[in-house]
Amino acid sequence: MAIDWITVSAQIVNFLILVWLLKRFLYQPVIRAMERRERRIADRLEDAEIRERSAEEKAHDHQQKIDELERMRDGLVADAKLEAEHEKRHMLDEARDEAAEARKNWQRQTNQEKQEFLKNLQKQAADTIQVIAKKTLADLANAELEEQMVHSFIHQLKSLDDEEFRRALRQSSTPVNIVSAFELPAPTRARLTRAIHEHLVEGIEVEYDQSPDLLCGIELNAEGRRLGWNLDDYLDRLSGRVEEVLSPARATG
Amino acid sequence: MTINPDNVVYWQWGMLHLNATIVFTWLVMALLTGVSWLVTRRLSTGTRISHWQNLLEVLVIGMRDQINEVSRQEPGRYLPFVGTLFLFIATANLLNIVPGYTAPTGSLSTTTALAICVFVAVPIYGIAHEGPLDYLKHYVKPTALMLPFNIIGEISRTIALAVRLYGNIMSGTVIVAILLSLTPYLFPVVMQLLGLLTGMIQAYIFAVLAMVYIASATSAHGGRETDRNPPATSTD
Repeated sequence: MAIDWITVSAQIVNFLILVWLLKRFLYQPVIRAMERRERRIADRLEDAEIRERSAEEKAHDHQQKIDELERMRDGLVADAKLEAEHEKRHMLDEARDEAAEARKNWQRQTNQEKQEFLKNLQKQAADTIQVIAKKTLADLANAELEEQMVHSFIHQLKSLDDEEFRRALRQSSTPVNIVSAFELPAPTRARLTRAIHEHLVEGIEVEYDQSPDLLCGIELNAEGRRLGWNLDDYLDRLSGRVEEVLSPARATG
Repeated sequence: MTINPDNVVYWQWGMLHLNATIVFTWLVMALLTGVSWLVTRRLSTGTRISHWQNLLEVLVIGMRDQINEVSRQEPGRYLPFVGTLFLFIATANLLNIVPGYTAPTGSLSTTTALAICVFVAVPIYGIAHEGPLDYLKHYVKPTALMLPFNIIGEISRTIALAVRLYGNIMSGTVIVAILLSLTPYLFPVVMQLLGLLTGMIQAYIFAVLAMVYIASATSAHGGRETDRNPPATSTD
């Protein structure tokens, strides 16, 4: 139980030195390192939280954009449907118009063909009738058809009671023009000239022409008026009948 | 057989002499400081740390937690003093297993020196914490009649602190020495192992008691802190 006071004081000094040394080399560095680590971890956690929050915001933004795009897409699809419907209707209308146009064209063509056919028929009928009439008249009355025509024409002149026309003829200086489908023999011409002088105007000059256009007939042209006889009337009646016969065919076309 | 390392003198010059206590204290100091310096030279603040740094951190955190638990105060101010008490005593005791080594804590001079440090530290911490007047009022509580008893208590607990550590460590050494002469080979080894355990416990007790005394001086309700102190009587 001996206490060496010199040793005691030395130990006190030793202990105080040890306290200082350990404080300097152990406690302070270790605690500082731990604090720094804790701060770093806290910083990282905070950083992670900030990042998470920003990521959430971004995700939210993207969701909004997706929604907007979906809305836009729906709108576009609806517009496209509407436009397609419109286009379809337009195309149908066009097709209908085209069909109508084609039908109209076809009808016009058919009509034209019919007209042509009728014209041909008219011509052929006229020819045939003329031939038949000529033959009949020649056979029956032993007279020429032309002669009969001239006779009928002279009869027309006789029965004409148009004083105005006569007066006009009297005042005009142009000759009267007689057009016929056939060649008139000289005696017939003389007879016609005589009849005109007798029934229309005394001493007027008369010219004679021949025209194949005039279907089997004879005609007088003067002062813008026409007077005569031909087969047109009959042929017109014939063509009217033919048209009537053909009209059911048009209806079915 | 030398029981007191104070008596082993290596070098003497007049009044000053270098005995085994001081030499082995220096050895312990050098060991503690050297290891601390080597490890804390390269401290990692990242998530990967070395084993040695991990050990030191566990030690420091453990001591801080203990101080906090005992004092219910921020441990930062007390850690260097109380922590060094624990580390010094524990290292000095643990090195007992090294042949030729004599624990400096087995010298009454060392334990007295440590107890005196505690004896002085208590009022210093108390005055630093509460101011001199408030601290001195502790001695006349609950009445002025208690003043002598408080002073006696203060001194006696310091003596108890010194003698308890000295007795335990010295007796361990003495017992091993006696047993070595009576029953050699196996039994002293067991006693030596027991001595390691005792040394650790004594280091813990010394440090905790020092903390309790400081806490009682710094805490406003110091009495409650000292009431929570069962090991003081049970380990003598």
